[in-house]
Amino acid sequence: MSRRRSRRRIAASLLALLAMLGVFVVRLVDIQVVQAASLNAEAEDKRSIPQTILGERGDIFDSTGTLLARSVLRYDITASPKTAVKSGVTPEAAAIEIAKVTGQKPEDLVKVLEDAVAKDPDSDFAYLARRVDAETFQQIRDLEIPWVYYEAHAARTYPNGAVAGNLIGFVGTENQPQAGVEYSEDSCLAGQDGSEVYERSADGVRIPGSTVVTEEAVNGSDLVLTIDSDLQWFTQQTLATYAQKFGASWGTVVVEEVATGKLLAVADYPTVDPNNVAATANTDVSALGSRAFTAPFEPGSTFKTLTAASLIDAGLANPGSRVVADDTFTTPEGADVSDSESHERWNLTLTGVLKESSNTGLSQLGLLMTPQQRYEYMQRFHLGQRTEVGFGGEEPGDLNGGPDSWDAQTNLTTMFGQGLTTTAVQMASVYQTIANGGVRMPVSLVEGCRQADGTITDAAPVDGSRVISEGAADQTVAMLENVATKGWLANQIEIPGYRLATKTGTAQHADGSGGYADTYIVSLAGIAPADDPQYVVTVTLADPVKMNTSGATAPVFREVMTQVLKQYAVVPSGSSSPDLPTNY
Amino acid sequence: MSTALATAPLRRPSSPGARPNVEPAPSIEIVPGRDQRRARPRVVYASVVVGGLGALMLSQLLMSIALSDGAYAIDSLQREHKEQSRVVQQLNEELGRLSSPQNLAVNAEALGMVQNTNPVWLRMSDGAVIGTPAAATAGAGVIGSAGSQVANELLTGVPLVAQPDAAGAPASATPDPAAPPAEGSQLPLQAPTTR
Repeated sequence: MSRRRSRRRIAASLLALLAMLGVFVVRLVDIQVVQAASLNAEAEDKRSIPQTILGERGDIFDSTGTLLARSVLRYDITASPKTAVKSGVTPEAAAIEIAKVTGQKPEDLVKVLEDAVAKDPDSDFAYLARRVDAETFQQIRDLEIPWVYYEAHAARTYPNGAVAGNLIGFVGTENQPQAGVEYSEDSCLAGQDGSEVYERSADGVRIPGSTVVTEEAVNGSDLVLTIDSDLQWFTQQTLATYAQKFGASWGTVVVEEVATGKLLAVADYPTVDPNNVAATANTDVSALGSRAFTAPFEPGSTFKTLTAASLIDAGLANPGSRVVADDTFTTPEGADVSDSESHERWNLTLTGVLKESSNTGLSQLGLLMTPQQRYEYMQRFHLGQRTEVGFGGEEPGDLNGGPDSWDAQTNLTTMFGQGLTTTAVQMASVYQTIANGGVRMPVSLVEGCRQADGTITDAAPVDGSRVISEGAADQTVAMLENVATKGWLANQIEIPGYRLATKTGTAQHADGSGGYADTYIVSLAGIAPADDPQYVVTVTLADPVKMNTSGATAPVFREVMTQVLKQYAVVPSGSSSPDLPTNY
Repeated sequence: MSTALATAPLRRPSSPGARPNVEPAPSIEIVPGRDQRRARPRVVYASVVVGGLGALMLSQLLMSIALSDGAYAIDSLQREHKEQSRVVQQLNEELGRLSSPQNLAVNAEALGMVQNTNPVWLRMSDGAVIGTPAAATAGAGVIGSAGSQVANELLTGVPLVAQPDAAGAPASATPDPAAPPAEGSQLPLQAPTTR
C-alpha cells in the first residue's frame, strides 16, 4: 500500500519535471532557432556601432605640382527638434548662438525646429546647416548644445577657383562627379568607402579589440594634368578682359606644346568657378564645361592653312604657285564664292592667297585636288572625330558627311573652313601638326593617374602619326610667317625678336538651319617661334559686337603668346623671317 | 667531573618553560598507516591553489584596468588626432586660397608691381642683350583696370595685404591711402639704387 503510493508520487514528480523540461526546451528552441536571427540582430544593434571608413577621393594637380582640387571634410549640423523644443535652454537662445557662427538668421533656425515638431512631435532629426567647414563646426561644437549633432561628409574644394575650372569640372553635393576631368577621369580619382564595426561602452569609448573591419577603404589616386595653372590663369584673365572689351558672347584660347601635343592652357570665357557652380549654372549652362571641346564652329579662314598644306604635300602646289584671283569665282557647275571685299584682279601666289585670305584664289587651287583627297587629309588631321582627350561632352565636329554628300558649293566652301565644323582644340591640333614637321601628336590634357607609390598609370599616348611630309609642313610654316609679317594685323601681333607664323579667320556663324546669321566667329591661330616651332596658340571669339573682325583676337594672341615665350624661356634666335613673293 | 649529573639523576629532564611537578598525561595515539598519511590533504597544496587563483584574479583585474585605461588613452589620442587633422586641413585650405594666382596677382599689383610685355634676354656667355628693352608702364599689370576676371569664391572676404585699412597697419605707414596702387611711394621699403 505505502509502497504503491510512493511509486505514484515518484511518477507524478517525474511527470512534472518532464513537463517543466519540455517548457524549457520549447523556449530554448524558440530563442535559439526560431527567433535567433532577429534577436541576434537586435543584440548587435544594442552594443555594436557600424561605421563607414571614408575612402578619400584623389587630388588633382597641374603639371607643375600645383594643387587644383582637394578632398576635404565638411560637416552637417543637425538637431533633435523634440529635445530642442522641450529643453531647458530655449531653442531661441541657442539659435542666436549658432546663427552668429553660421551667419544664418536665428528665427529661421527656430522655425526649422518648430516646424519639425509641429509635423511630428517625436521628430528627432532636422538639418540646421549643411556642409560647413571645420572652423564653423568647431565653433558650434564648442557651444555644447546638447541637442545638436554632427555628420562628417567628404567634399571637394578648389583652391584656385575658376583657374582651369572649365577643365577640372566639379562634383555634386554627395561628392558625385558631374563635369570635366572630375567626371571623365573618375575611375582614377574615385575612392572606395570601407566599413568597420566596433563595440562601445556606455560612455561611448570604443572597447579595445572589438573593432572588426568588414571592408577596407581604398583611397583614390591623384590625377596630374598637362595644364600649367599660372599660364592658365594668365590666359583666362587676358581672354576675359578682351572678350568683355569687344563684347564677345564667348571665347576660347588654346595653348598647345608642339613637340608633345600637350595642352598647356585651355581658357574659356565665360567659365565656371567649381566652388560656386550655381552662379554659372543660372546664367550660362554651356559655360559649365569647356567650349574649346564642346562647341564646334565653322572655323573659316584659319582652315585655309590645312588646304594649302594638303596641296603642297600632294605635290600639286608650292608656296609660289600662281593664281589669278578676282573678287568672285564661279565654277562650271554653278557654285560661286566671293572674297570678303570687292577688289580688282589680283595676281597671287599661294603665299599671297593666304596673306590676302582670298577665297576665290584658294578655291581655284583647291580644285586641283579631288574632294576625296581633301577629305582624306582632313581625316588624317583627325578632324570629324573626337581628340584623344575624351573630354566630357566633347564634340567630334562635322565634316558634313564627306565628299559624297558635298554639293558643288560645299566642295568649295570646305576649302576655306565653311560648311564643316571643328572645335578650337581640333584647330590647335592642326597647327600643332604643321608646326611639328607634319607629325601629329595625340592631344593630351591628362599626364596620367598617379598612384600612391608615385607610379603613373594610364599615361597619355605619345605616339605621333605623320600627316604631311616635313617639307610640306616647313613650307606651310614659311608661308604663315609671311602672313604674320605682311598681313593686316602684322603691327598688332608683332613680338619683337620672335618669328611668328599666323593665320586669321572670320567665319560667318551658321544659323542652325542651313543658312548664315549676321554674326561672326573670329579666330587667330599662330605658331612661335617660327624658326623652331614650340608653341601653338589659337584664339576664338564669338560675335565680338564691338569689333567684328579677327582684329579682336590680335591683342589676346599677342599677350598670351608673349607670356608663353617668357614663361618657357624661349630665347629669340635673332634670325629673320623668309621673304616669299605674295604676288607676281 | 660530573657533579650536577650525580646530584639529580632521577629527575625528569624538563624544558625550561615546563611546569615542574606536573606529570604529563601519557599520550596515546593511533599511528597512521603509510597510506593514510599519504591521503591526507596537505595545507601547502591548498594554499598554492588558493594563492594561485588569487594571483590570477588579481592579475586579470590589473590587466583589465590597464586595458581599459589604454582604451581611454587611445580614445583621447584618436580624438586629438582628429582635432589636429582638422587644423591641418583648415591651414591647408587657407594656404591654398592665399596662394591662388588671383590672390597673388591682385596683391602684387596693389603693391605696385607691373609686368613688362616686352621680353628681353641677357645672354650670360657674351653679355649680349637679346630683344628690344622697353620700360614697363605703370598700370601694365595683368589685372589692370579690368579687375580680376577669374573668379574664386574662396577669396570672398580675404583682404588685400596692402590695403591701407588692413588690421594692424599704422596709418602713418600709408601717408596717402587714396594714391593709385601702381605708385611705389606708399611702400615702406625703398627701392635699392642699382647701376
